Amino acid sequence: MEILHLDQISPDAVVLWKWKFFTLNATILYTWIIMAILTVGSWLATRNLSTEPETSRWQSLLEVVVVGMRNQIGEICQQDAGRYLPFIGTLFLFIAISNLLGFVPGYAPPTSSLSTTAALAVCVFVAVPLYGMWDRGPIGYLKHFAEPSLFIMPFHILGEVSRTVALAVRLFGNIMSGSKVVGILLAITPLLFPIVMQVLELLIGLIQAYIFAILSTVYIASALKAHEEKESFAHSSGSLSGSTTVSG
Amino acid sequence: MLIDWFTVVAQIINFLILVFLLKHFLYGRIINAMDQREARITSRLEEAETQRKEAENEAAMFKLKNQYIESQREEMISSAKEESESFKKDLMQKAREEIDSIQARWHETVEKQKIAFLKDLGQRATKEVFAVTRQVLKDLADKDLEQQIVDVFIRRVEKLSQEERRLISESVNGSGIILITSAFQIPDEGQVKILNTIKEYINNECQIDYQIASDVISGIELRTVGHKIAWSFDNYLASLETNVLEAMELGSRSEGAE
Repeated sequence: MEILHLDQISPDAVVLWKWKFFTLNATILYTWIIMAILTVGSWLATRNLSTEPETSRWQSLLEVVVVGMRNQIGEICQQDAGRYLPFIGTLFLFIAISNLLGFVPGYAPPTSSLSTTAALAVCVFVAVPLYGMWDRGPIGYLKHFAEPSLFIMPFHILGEVSRTVALAVRLFGNIMSGSKVVGILLAITPLLFPIVMQVLELLIGLIQAYIFAILSTVYIASALKAHEEKESFAHSSGSLSGSTTVSG
Repeated sequence: MLIDWFTVVAQIINFLILVFLLKHFLYGRIINAMDQREARITSRLEEAETQRKEAENEAAMFKLKNQYIESQREEMISSAKEESESFKKDLMQKAREEIDSIQARWHETVEKQKIAFLKDLGQRATKEVFAVTRQVLKDLADKDLEQQIVDVFIRRVEKLSQEERRLISESVNGSGIILITSAFQIPDEGQVKILNTIKEYINNECQIDYQIASDVISGIELRTVGHKIAWSFDNYLASLETNVLEAMELGSRSEGAE
């Protein structure tokens, strides 16, 4: 039933259709499915939104999710989260749904493909300077690379790249390994134990989605003006200072 | 190769499309709905606050009004009490006066009736007493008494003053007749005595005409034109009756005055 054989690391290897350069593999297919679920689900849930104090359960659930994400982003960014919510929120929802669907037989999470995680990491890698420039202006943002000294700039750039790679590989490694562990356990002990592992995988999947989204927010926040001001205030007051860069 | 660059590009495009779709279908709508609801709740809260303030103001106003009405009510009650007390006093006073007046009238009426009754009773009693007395004296009259009466009459004539004698004598001069009325037949001896006495004391040339009248109780009367000399029990009784009635009248008047 498994679409992905044990010896196949990534769902990219499962090619369903190919025409010249264009390839339809399991990763893209499942991504489309997840996109469809999210889009249709959102459309269904938001087509009859109530502005009255009494709301439907679906609307309440969505509001809790959206408000929760917005608050988290707002706490990290120290400013209005509305600008970053679509990007970071979508990252979280996509990864979370992708991972949570892991218990469906025949499903291979797109996040277990390094191509997908790399794509998401690239998006973050591009989004960070874009948001930074949007917030501080291009010069203000680029000046940040030359601080405190111009010699530090290569290390800054290296840090940006390495954390992006780490972002991609962390997610890929966790989800791919989880799928493989469940697959191997199914082969060894097909009764009960794989279920426990699968539950654990669901938890890990959700945690990984949260970590990916939080790290992305932190990276974006580190490029913002508010973060800079906060950091400089910490330096000037002599309190403990340090980079907010979080590594996996 | 774990990374398929076509897939990477496709996934980037997929992700960006998903961002756009979710922004349109999820975040925008949810945030809008929440903002609208928040605005609505805020406006409702503000409205509720306004209404609460209005209600508080109205409550305070009604409290003041109630206090005013309460004070007015107490004033009105005390005023009404005073008025009713005064009215009651007036009524009582009027009632007392009316009762006094009725009582006075009643007393007056009773007194009048009493006086009238007493007067009537007195009169009747007097009349009865005198009627009985007259009857008794009439029944008791006999020869000796008639003789005594003649004697008493003669003494009265004798005791007349000069002026009285002259007046009677002058009144006799016209007709020359003196009428002697008695309740009994005067005996001859008595008639002689009377004649002699009259001739001696009143008029020497007159004639005497004797008549018997039952209403002259045990007595004798001498009548001329315009003059009369009489002695009888009836005279005493009439005089006594007059005196008694006058005394009763006087007594009833003094009682009525009191």
